[in-house]
Amino acid sequence: MSEEALIGLFVATVQFGTLVFLAALGELIAERAGVLNLGVEGMMAMGAVSGFMVGLETGSPWAAFFAAAAVGALVGGFHALVSVVLGADQVVSGLALTIGGLGLAAYVGRNVVGERPETLFTDLGIAGLADIPWIGEIFFDQPPVVYLAVLLGFSVWFVLARTRLGLAIRAAGESAPTADTAGHSVMALRSGAVMVGGAFAGAAGSFLSLYMAPGWVEGMVAGRGWIAVALVIFGAWRPGRLALGALLFGFTLALQPRLQSFDIELLGVEVNRISPALLGILPFVLTVVVLVIISWRYRHRPSVAPAALGLPYRREER
Amino acid sequence: MASSDADYAVWLRGIEKQFPGVIACAGADLRVRPGTIHALLGENGAGKTTMANVLAGVYRPDGGEVWVNGRRRFFQSPADAIQAGVGMVYQEFRLVPTLTVAENIVLGAAPRLLRGAEIEQRVAELSAAYGLAADPARPVWQLSMGERQRVEILKALWRNASVLVMDEPTAVLTPGEAAELGVTLRAMAAEGRSVVYISHKLDQVVAFCDEATVLRRGKTVATVDDLDDVDLQELAEMMVGSSQGVAMDRPPPVDTGSEVLRLQGIHAVGDRGLPALTGIDLTVRSGEIVGIVGVSGNGQKELAEVISGLREPTEGQVSVKGQDVTAASSSDRYRLGLAYVPEDRLGMGLAPKMSVVDNSVVRSYRSQRRGLFLSTAKCTEFCRGLVERFGVRVGRLNDPIAGLSGGNLQRLLLGRELAGRPSVLVAAQPSRGLDVQGVAAIHGHLIDQRADGVGVLLISEDLDELLALSDRLLVMFEGRIMGEYGPDVTPRTILGAAMAGNPPR
Amino acid sequence: MRKPALVRRDRVLPATQALGFFVGIVVALLLGAVLLIVSDHSPAEVYERMFDSALRGTDSLSRTLGRATPLALTGLSVAVAGSMGLWNIGAEGQMMAGAIVATGVAMMADGLSGPLLIALMMAAGVAGGMLLMLGPALARSHLRVSEIITTLMLVYVAIRVVEWLETGPWKDPDSFGFAVIEPVPEQAALPSLFGRANIGMLIALGLLIVFSVAVSRTAWGYELRLAGSSPDTARYAGVSLRRKVLVALILSGGIAGLAGAVQLTGSATRLESGLSNGYGFAGIIVAALALMRPSGVAVAAFVFGAVQVGGQSIQTLGVSSAIADILQAMILFGALVAVVLFNYRIRWTGPAREQQADERLGSAITQEAADV
Repeated sequence: MSEEALIGLFVATVQFGTLVFLAALGELIAERAGVLNLGVEGMMAMGAVSGFMVGLETGSPWAAFFAAAAVGALVGGFHALVSVVLGADQVVSGLALTIGGLGLAAYVGRNVVGERPETLFTDLGIAGLADIPWIGEIFFDQPPVVYLAVLLGFSVWFVLARTRLGLAIRAAGESAPTADTAGHSVMALRSGAVMVGGAFAGAAGSFLSLYMAPGWVEGMVAGRGWIAVALVIFGAWRPGRLALGALLFGFTLALQPRLQSFDIELLGVEVNRISPALLGILPFVLTVVVLVIISWRYRHRPSVAPAALGLPYRREER
Repeated sequence: MASSDADYAVWLRGIEKQFPGVIACAGADLRVRPGTIHALLGENGAGKTTMANVLAGVYRPDGGEVWVNGRRRFFQSPADAIQAGVGMVYQEFRLVPTLTVAENIVLGAAPRLLRGAEIEQRVAELSAAYGLAADPARPVWQLSMGERQRVEILKALWRNASVLVMDEPTAVLTPGEAAELGVTLRAMAAEGRSVVYISHKLDQVVAFCDEATVLRRGKTVATVDDLDDVDLQELAEMMVGSSQGVAMDRPPPVDTGSEVLRLQGIHAVGDRGLPALTGIDLTVRSGEIVGIVGVSGNGQKELAEVISGLREPTEGQVSVKGQDVTAASSSDRYRLGLAYVPEDRLGMGLAPKMSVVDNSVVRSYRSQRRGLFLSTAKCTEFCRGLVERFGVRVGRLNDPIAGLSGGNLQRLLLGRELAGRPSVLVAAQPSRGLDVQGVAAIHGHLIDQRADGVGVLLISEDLDELLALSDRLLVMFEGRIMGEYGPDVTPRTILGAAMAGNPPR
Repeated sequence: MRKPALVRRDRVLPATQALGFFVGIVVALLLGAVLLIVSDHSPAEVYERMFDSALRGTDSLSRTLGRATPLALTGLSVAVAGSMGLWNIGAEGQMMAGAIVATGVAMMADGLSGPLLIALMMAAGVAGGMLLMLGPALARSHLRVSEIITTLMLVYVAIRVVEWLETGPWKDPDSFGFAVIEPVPEQAALPSLFGRANIGMLIALGLLIVFSVAVSRTAWGYELRLAGSSPDTARYAGVSLRRKVLVALILSGGIAGLAGAVQLTGSATRLESGLSNGYGFAGIIVAALALMRPSGVAVAAFVFGAVQVGGQSIQTLGVSSAIADILQAMILFGALVAVVLFNYRIRWTGPAREQQADERLGSAITQEAADV
């Protein structure tokens, strides 16, 4: 196996990692506020198609990126309206969001299938660092979205851990009555978190359609939204662990199409004989295992999952 | 009138609040002078917690006025009430278990940027100033209930609340912790803050409150300006009141027969892990009604659950008709002749979303089978029998029971329990929340059962009811039985003293 | 300022769910019409084509029923778990697992006669679905691990396993290099009833009836309803909640697995990664609309089947079939919102204008009192 192929693998790992990290970070915000949103796949599709179309129209990848984020927030806002404001079941609403979002994305994008925008995100060769062998190409010659994602990761961590807003969000996710009686509007916190989460998912979708697989085809999100949902659990609802998990999941995603070309032996197994499909199972199985382990280890104390996750809140209900 | 508004720290005027099917407050009043500790008294369901929630901005009242510190307020949310200086300590604490003490205290009133060390420092200073020990860096889930309560009080102090509302604060405290709480509250009152202290533990109310308001059925029935002038027993009677308009003739004594229920050395812990029952011994014989007297929260609920098989005792033995049933399940005990009317009928005992028929066969569905199937005909027949025999007014038998009135629900539940021809009936608060006819019907059934040789254990907060129906009275206080009394020969003063933990002799 | 709040109605309006479903359909059609008009299509023409192709004539009806069959089965699967207050989000995966095991059986028992082979494959389907549910069910009943996430994750495991089988172990040697699994034996094809509707429809209908009867007429179903509706009362009646959770989930998995076997022998020719085709996820919406009741599942599955068939048909008009997915989601959202508004009313609270005046007066008086 060539050095080039190996570097290519790691470059793709970072990019796939960024894709699922962005979406998962958004889901993390919503879940820390107590709202499960199973509509990530649909929000990503809407982001992918709307970002791509704005990109076609304006030629500006950044305009496209932010438009996709806005559309994602809007789609997320729908989930917020139904499940937070009206208090309908979060599971059902989220799933409907995925089905409807995928459908709407396919419908909206039916006329742009096969087109290519003139300008896409380009790799930023960071002066001085990009030339370092291996490391430079993998970490310092990536599209700007990668660095933005790192920045967002830090920001989310900072806001959640170190600000009044973050404390309120965490309280709303752990115990809505507590946040409410402490004087915070649970409805505003949760709706806001879901919409910001939607913006992240939409932005991730546009990263897909404007860089990783330029163009739009129906079904291009291909389950990465579900991987993002899994990643939040795998990362135990913590941004830091989420980043590590994203790299791991990104690695499996990057490895799948490349597996055949790796002519090496690992632990007595010829790597290129492993089925890419079986490799694709890994993130999901790991997530289930992690969830069971967490439940077991935390059986005598509060779980790491936000305690009020999935529970609608109405103040005067008794 | 208005000129005196400013004199009150809190003035709730004619508060009305209705929930679907329940009138919680029907024009209740509460006036609290600044710098006093004001007891808000009443039995369960009297509307105390609803009043507190209105004051804390959690419930928006359907009618009435809220005045705080001389200004009329229109609270839309707890945030508004906090703004107006009201701090509330809920009975079910409002704390986030995974957050630290300091984070919980500053929640809602935190600086924009959280610097952990700085906040912990400031919280430590606050807790030192009021002598409320709490380690700011510890997560709340590791704290005892007493510590959690201190965190709640600190939370209110952090916002510099001028009015502190405490809902049943001593329910989770040991006697020592309760005494400490009294000292803290006194200190706060001395600073000019007002405390609304919701309770039914009379001894403590007298010990550290200045004035009192008594609620009954959503209305204010008495205001006491100086608690020093009132004695315990009088207060107990004010709270419990009398079930007016119900003619309760003492039924003629029946020859009591064999022992049908026996508890020996029962110990049990409550939901929060604190001891709820300590060394309970009691027996109920066939053909008698044994009344359990006591202010609620003194172990009555746990006692009923241990007897019926829904709570495992940590020690001791329960026997029904001489047979040890300590390890038997609730349904096995029912088959052996132990019927149970639980206190919270819509939470346990009845399934609100299921039909009248379904609810009537909760105990007997196993015997209503025909082959693989549950015979609809048999079930409906059984249900119709119950409805007729016990005078349950229902719409269609296949409609959910959620629409029935409290009295009809209780008739259905009691009827169902009696249908198995039990030897023992444990009835917890069977007439609570019922109208006059409902109460009369339930009492009639209890007396009939006694005449039929059933041993009845009647748990109630209504002293008049207990005095009218019981053959023997056992007074419970803090998980113990304080003594046995004959209803005819015991003056209320003695019972009142025993209920407050000071039996004569 | 006056603010709105949702307040539970004292009296719940009758027949709310059926009415909500109807409102949902109307809302979806209206929003769909807006979307069509915006994109220069005639809603009348499109809806007419959808109606004709899905509901007019036996051929159309057979197509709709053919689609409704897997939806009814996955809907029932979700409803069985749902009647205990549990969510089986993974019917999609259990369908696949059922189809995998059924295919395996077909490969081993190729020579058997049609009916016997079909029966064996159905049983295998049930077993496959149950097998995939075993882990989540045990984790839920014994460790209280949320079944929502575990069942969902296993969807992708099942789909990837099929992809692996396609490319590796079960790759059809006669497929000229294409990564496909060999078709199921001809004698295993489910007999057709009429047009596209096959025996599978009767299986689904039968199961809906059996479950409906089991839930409403047997002691087992009674315990299930009691445990789902009031766990404390179930405990009081001596029902083991843990066992009920386990049984409801495993059963739910089995029914979804059966849906996989039915799909495999009914409308698909071979096991492939697209076999479940979103039926498992749509089944969740079907069950939610039906409030977990079998009769409702039948109705909702039929409506969704018709929408999906109609969605396919409008492609000839140059309209994207994605309209069908949008309509399905909108029906659900419309119904969710409608039902909330049936049960709650919006109450505006806060000081009215006079009250605000009153407040100013009050503070003025206070001021006065303070001055005195």
